[in-house]
Amino acid sequence: MAGTAERMAKNQKQVAISEFFEKNKHFLGFDSLTRSLITAVKEAVDNSLDACEEARILPEIRVQINKIDDKKNIIELKTEDNGPGIPKRSIEKVFGQLLFGSRFHAIRQSRGQQGIGITGVVMYSQLTTGRKTHVRSKIATETSAATVDIGLDTRKNKATKTNEGRELWERPDGTLKEHGLEITCRMKAKYQRGRQSVYQYLRMTSIVNPHADITFVDPDGEVHHWPRVTERLPRKVESIKPHPHGIHLGTLQRMCTESTDSRMTSFLYKNFSGVSSRAAKQLLEAAGVLEKAKPKSMKPDQIRALLEAFQGERLLNDKAVKLLNPPTNCLSPIEELLIKKGLSKTIDSRFVTTMTRSPTVSQGNPYQVEVGLIFGDGMAADKPVEVLRFANRVPLMYQQGGCLLTKAIESVDWRQYGMDQAGGRGVPKGPAAILVHLASTNVQFTSEAKEALAENGEVMDEVRKAMLEMGRGLRKHLEKKKKMVKVQEKFELVNDIIPAIAEKSAAILQRPVPDLAGSITRIMGAVIAESTTTWNKETKMVDIAIKLFNYTSRARAYTLLASWPESAGASMENNTTGGRKEATGVWAWKLETLDPGETYTITYALNGLEKGDWTETDVFYRGSQEVIGASKMDEKLLEEIRRQEAREQGEEEESGEEEVSLEDTEENDAPPEIADDQPKPSGQQTLMGFGSDA
Amino acid sequence: MMSASHTPEETKIALHEVVTEMYDKIVKGEPPTMTLPVRTKNNIGFDKSLGVYKYGKKRSIRDATSLGSAKQLLRALYVVEFIEEMINTNKSSTLREMYYISESWGLGKFSSQNESNNLAEDLEVVTKCLREDFKLRPEEDGARMIGNITLQERNRRGEWMRINARDDVGDSGYGVPYNVEEEKIELLEHDVKFIMAIETGGMFDRLIENGFDEAYNCALVHLKGQPARSTRRILKRMSEEWDLPVVVFLDGDPWSFRIFASIAYGAIKTAHISEYLATPTATYLGITSDDIEAYDLPSDDLSSRDVDALKAELSDPRFADAWWQEQINMMLELGKKAEQQSLAKYGLDFVTDTYLPEKLNDLGLA
Repeated sequence: MAGTAERMAKNQKQVAISEFFEKNKHFLGFDSLTRSLITAVKEAVDNSLDACEEARILPEIRVQINKIDDKKNIIELKTEDNGPGIPKRSIEKVFGQLLFGSRFHAIRQSRGQQGIGITGVVMYSQLTTGRKTHVRSKIATETSAATVDIGLDTRKNKATKTNEGRELWERPDGTLKEHGLEITCRMKAKYQRGRQSVYQYLRMTSIVNPHADITFVDPDGEVHHWPRVTERLPRKVESIKPHPHGIHLGTLQRMCTESTDSRMTSFLYKNFSGVSSRAAKQLLEAAGVLEKAKPKSMKPDQIRALLEAFQGERLLNDKAVKLLNPPTNCLSPIEELLIKKGLSKTIDSRFVTTMTRSPTVSQGNPYQVEVGLIFGDGMAADKPVEVLRFANRVPLMYQQGGCLLTKAIESVDWRQYGMDQAGGRGVPKGPAAILVHLASTNVQFTSEAKEALAENGEVMDEVRKAMLEMGRGLRKHLEKKKKMVKVQEKFELVNDIIPAIAEKSAAILQRPVPDLAGSITRIMGAVIAESTTTWNKETKMVDIAIKLFNYTSRARAYTLLASWPESAGASMENNTTGGRKEATGVWAWKLETLDPGETYTITYALNGLEKGDWTETDVFYRGSQEVIGASKMDEKLLEEIRRQEAREQGEEEESGEEEVSLEDTEENDAPPEIADDQPKPSGQQTLMGFGSDA
Repeated sequence: MMSASHTPEETKIALHEVVTEMYDKIVKGEPPTMTLPVRTKNNIGFDKSLGVYKYGKKRSIRDATSLGSAKQLLRALYVVEFIEEMINTNKSSTLREMYYISESWGLGKFSSQNESNNLAEDLEVVTKCLREDFKLRPEEDGARMIGNITLQERNRRGEWMRINARDDVGDSGYGVPYNVEEEKIELLEHDVKFIMAIETGGMFDRLIENGFDEAYNCALVHLKGQPARSTRRILKRMSEEWDLPVVVFLDGDPWSFRIFASIAYGAIKTAHISEYLATPTATYLGITSDDIEAYDLPSDDLSSRDVDALKAELSDPRFADAWWQEQINMMLELGKKAEQQSLAKYGLDFVTDTYLPEKLNDLGLA
């Protein structure tokens, strides 16, 4: 009898694992032939990016898809990276264990929160084609690469290894590969183009991973390459301890049972973020638990009481116990400039605005919102804008309509920013793409499919705020563009057409060509500023020329001002007109009186920038008569910028000190130079209207 | 004898006035301008002495303060220069040729054929010359005529050719050239009682096959839809010089009403030369709105564009009289329109044996 029971149990388990996969394939990402392929690519690429990040390697990733049998939809997927590789003895653990990596319990921002990992790919391949997954892995300390075929023993929920071997891993150019991982598998799947495709997934991945170099060879042999646009790796993310506001009863119970601490005070202080030793005492007092109580011997109702104290439902002296926010340095935003570069790399367009909001906390979980908007001629003007959603640098490709990020976009009235939107609701129409990235230690999805973010009022608010600011930037850009077109037309009119009319009419009537000055003054009746911002390939600088034309009948005197990316580290060169600094990023030139018909040109160059960093210069003026092509300097705004600067300078000094003290007390395994070259997220810049148009 | 033409010298002087307006403005230190009448139905009025509709007093000034109108002025100068050249070298060109020639005009280049056609009309309106004076020919060809009328036409070799439009032509009739002024065509003699202008080629051919022109002693003119200027001009000349009635036989729809208005009262676009083109004595024969019911003709429903056109006609001064108001309102009420060839419902001879005789009888012409 005992034998039967055991056999039955075994059978049950065997059924359970393959059935588990079968039953849950929709949320494992293997519910359709096209999605299965995307999921497989996603698991492999996410692993590669995570591994490279951890090992501080600039990733080079290559994905190749071959059609093996078109009729039966058999596809071969090969992915290769230059990551650290996996030691031979660990390969089977990484590829063969269905449930699950250690990261499931770590509280930090990681890509791997989604999906069940590469094991799912191994299993799907085996189930659909009966084929094992071929792995080639090379680590730096060994001369040859380890090769092995991995399968799954569904009976034992264990990997099987066959054809183990070693070989020299040569690159196509004959040199030896130092380290990296290559996975080859065959599966029943379908390659498809469009919004939900491997191509789109990799394109989106490259936008939010500007430090990665990604190559994709599609089934037709066409090679798509998204080059690296920055050498800077994302900040190394730290794990943080859970915050009392974000903890659930079950977790708290488990933490208590597993704790080896002898007193509740040290248990709270050590295992939670935001809890000082004083707060720990206050929490226990509010919950009616003794400080010296042993965590292991806590009773269920005591734990419940503690949780209520955590959430401010049990008060101390009529007040909720005050807790510090969890640290937000555990987040790794992409940052404005890099989003800009990422977007510009995949979409050819002129106007890009991006912003990274300051990190904040919702229900004990730190999170940070980043958005980007690219607008221009390269995209369809009569279709809904492309929405690019990301959670922790992972593209979200399905369930767009049900996602918090989409809803935030839809809730903005984009008409006021110059885009088409029926009824002021929904995804706007226009030649644009909108990017939203949520970085968080705990991304909440609507379902296990992990394709749409769940409702959260605070996050929604943050995204909306970011959208509104970007919208203002867009409106400014569109207004400026319209003005520029008008100015260009006026120039064509007085420089080309009027002279031609004068010449032609004189020729027909056989009379002398009349003097044009009077007509031109009457037609223009204005002072006009024209600025050009162009990348100079030879000098590797941005050349800027600002021309001021006086087309009025009187002499005029002005001070011209221009924006420039001073805070991005640019320097001003060859500025022959001199002038002086008005505020950070604002330069001013007081010009001599300009007589009617006269023109003055200011030229300078910006050094220390890359191509595409700075493409538009805002010109302002001080003076009584309006200048077409420039904005009147808003002195109040300028004053505000100066005050803001003074404040920020103060803050920087303070936070600088804090950092030093942190490093003194805690061990920090992130190399300090990486932390140093992270520019501060600068949501304020866009508000002031400077620097965001680059 | 009234003539629309100007001599080359008159034409040049008139064109130079346009150029002088621009030149003088520049000399005065002002933006160059071109002054021209407003060319919409709101600026046409009935000229009692001429019996046709002409442009009123509304003027618009096109000045070079915007890029678009400045370009128009420059184009006008190029066109003036081009016309002078043609006058001097005794050449002519089609409007389409001028459009292509403008390719080499740099900033004065036309961006569409419509633009060049409109500019030619602008210059006509301002100078009161005809485009024939400008040596510009339209693309559309003139009408066909059949009937016992005799005229002479000066051919390319400069010789006068005598042509009888019944005996000297084939079944397609005499082709009316684009220029029908006296230097090109002289009307000699006729033996007809009236002239019938017909909208469609099918109906024109039907009447010829049935021998209608001989049976009823008339001349037939095929309008080819909206009639070309030369067609309207030759109708006008025959009516005036021979004192012949003109009857117009068209489809029964809003667009036919407009064709009739352009023949009888003058077209809005050419109101500056209405007195040369319009035949105020012309009569609308059919298809009328009441014909559709009276003859129970196969009909089509009015489209929304048809309805809009009828409504616009209600406020068009040319259709202001009681008879037209009634016809237009009746068609709106019926919601129907009918083609002239729908008369074939009662057989091929119905139009010549029954319909037209009945209609002409009403007018005292049968």
